[in-house]
Amino acid sequence: MRQGWTAFNIVSVIIGFSFLYLPIVLLVIYSFNASQLVTVWAGFSTRWYVQLFNNQGLLDAAWVTLRVGVLSATVATLLGTFAAVALTRYTRFRGRVLFTGMVYAPLVMPEVITGLSLLLLFVAIDFDRGFWTVTLAHITFSMCFVAVIVQSKLLSFDRSLEEAAMDLGATPAKTFLSITLPVIWPAVAAGWLLAFTLSLDDLVVASFTTGPAATTLPMKIYSAVRLGVTPEINAVCTILIAIVTVGVLSATLVNKRREVRRARESQVAFG
Amino acid sequence: MKTKSLGSVRKSFSPWTDPDAKPFIRFENVTKTFDGTAAIDDLSADVYEREFFALLGASGSGKSTLLRLLAGFETPTRGRIVLDGEDMTGIPPHKRPVNMMFQSYALFPHMNVEQNIAFGLKQDGMAKSERNDRIAEVLKLVKLENYGRRKPHQLSGGQQQRVALARSLVKRPKVLLLDEPLGALDKKLREETQFELTDLQYELGITFIMVTHDQEEAMTMADRIAVMGDGRILQIGTPPEIYEAPTSRFVADFIGTVNIFDGTVTARNGDRLKLETGAGHLLEVDANEESVSRARSGEKAAYAVRPEKLRISAKELTGPNVLSGEVWEIAYIGDMTSFHLKMDDGKIVRVSMVNASRESPVQLTWHDRAWVSFDPDAGLLLAN
Ligand SMILES: Nc1ncnc2c1ncn2[C@@H]1O[C@H](COP(=O)(O)OP(=O)(O)OP(=O)(O)O)[C@@H](O)[C@H]1O
Ligand SMILES: [Mg+2]
Repeated sequence: MRQGWTAFNIVSVIIGFSFLYLPIVLLVIYSFNASQLVTVWAGFSTRWYVQLFNNQGLLDAAWVTLRVGVLSATVATLLGTFAAVALTRYTRFRGRVLFTGMVYAPLVMPEVITGLSLLLLFVAIDFDRGFWTVTLAHITFSMCFVAVIVQSKLLSFDRSLEEAAMDLGATPAKTFLSITLPVIWPAVAAGWLLAFTLSLDDLVVASFTTGPAATTLPMKIYSAVRLGVTPEINAVCTILIAIVTVGVLSATLVNKRREVRRARESQVAFG
Repeated sequence: MKTKSLGSVRKSFSPWTDPDAKPFIRFENVTKTFDGTAAIDDLSADVYEREFFALLGASGSGKSTLLRLLAGFETPTRGRIVLDGEDMTGIPPHKRPVNMMFQSYALFPHMNVEQNIAFGLKQDGMAKSERNDRIAEVLKLVKLENYGRRKPHQLSGGQQQRVALARSLVKRPKVLLLDEPLGALDKKLREETQFELTDLQYELGITFIMVTHDQEEAMTMADRIAVMGDGRILQIGTPPEIYEAPTSRFVADFIGTVNIFDGTVTARNGDRLKLETGAGHLLEVDANEESVSRARSGEKAAYAVRPEKLRISAKELTGPNVLSGEVWEIAYIGDMTSFHLKMDDGKIVRVSMVNASRESPVQLTWHDRAWVSFDPDAGLLLAN
């Protein structure tokens, strides 16, 4: 059934998309504003971008954020994948329901509580706060997101594939690496991307757990905004938006290409 | 031709009749329960080296579970399995000299056909050139020479099944477990593959345990057949034994078609029993020794006769072992014709007649009255 473009449809689409994207579009436009004042348009200019690349403080923060993001996403993906495998595979151990619940709990835990409890822990064990504490904190909360994504993939995974591999002489470790991992790979990759994104835009947990030496980009932006929004901040955000957009688009494209290839292969086979 | 000679060679193969023969695989009182219900219930059986052993049974009777126990994917709740003199308890699947073809194929989706087949050989560290020879050989066997580069999702169901078969065969294990290996193939390809499999089994000396739903397949391929029901083996025997001498009503009913007449023993004269059926028919039947010693006058008994052992006639017959009814159904199958007769008590009796000549010797059509007779030794007296 084909739906025509009625006036009602057009209006609702416009309202919906404006609601989502108008703020972002405004932000992008004003990042190219020549004026010092954020709300007054004074012609096109890239001066804020030039200034941005000379702002050592912001660049440092970006570098910290990137390192924290990559490291925490990678470790969280490893741990989350193992947790998911354990929870879906060893279904007969006692307290499994409790464990599953405990893995999911941080998903709904208010960030303030996560941040505060981690801060208390680091203070209690006398851990110097800085790059490593933020990274650990990010691993802690993004791990469960990875676990959830990978677990959903594992639940639809055909166990007899693993049995067949072991039957043909592969050890359990070899089976995991050469059969299970390649099949659940998209979920693992998606988990990494999500963990990375979560780390990239986390403000609350980072504020609790970091020290003066390791300020992340969101913290930097937040503190700068408190002194007033500058076009420079708009420029930073525009760059962030560009990065995220490119990331999402390339992930989609990779997936799409795979689908297209699969379809083409099937066509060759049956067409 | 090849299979003919093979058949005669195999005729002398009957280690189960030799009390000194050592079983290759022993199931010793194996029980497997899932959540309290037994999928395998105190099952004991011996399989001999180089034997082709078929498992027949209704859906859910525990055939796949039995194979999975032997492959090591399930551990027995009680009892143990001994393979080639070695207790398999606690030995993980990848260390067992057993390969299995899965009912669900379980092909690795991210590998092409050749990679799927190569997987098992790689685990043994076989050299690439030898590996490629083996793969080519087994692909030829399953007639998929030109499909090596295809991914599983690019194959039809029957082709996938053949890849799964090739993958389990290529390692030439001591024991090959086949869970309905030919179910998705068309009749012609299935018969060809059956012959190739029996040849291969004979050449390589592999012990086969095969699950099948197809009785004919079990009959033509297997040395012995085990009929399973509710997690137990109800009878083990050679195909003729299972067909001609079923030991229970269930087996008689399960294998092939059978007419079963329930009745009461009215008299006994040596080996000959007189049986009166509920519908008032008088049967005079031979009883095998075992049931003769059991069946006494006044007791209930059942007599089972296969359709091909009944004679049908359009003329009235008299005497014992004669039944009459209305022709209810005629099915012309080519090599034979199958009649369903409706007795006066509503019971359906099946008769089949070989079409030896092109003209049918009996002129019967729907709703005609027909008479059926059989010899006293045509059937079998069954324990109820
Ligand atoms: N993992 C399991 N958990 C619980 N019950 C199971 C499991 N595997 C098998 N069963 C049960 O054990 C019984 C035997 O199953 P099995 O798969 O061996 O049957 P089958 O004879 O192979 O049937 P089919 O001909 O349909 O393949 C069934 O009742 C099934 O529900
Ligand atoms: Mg089965």
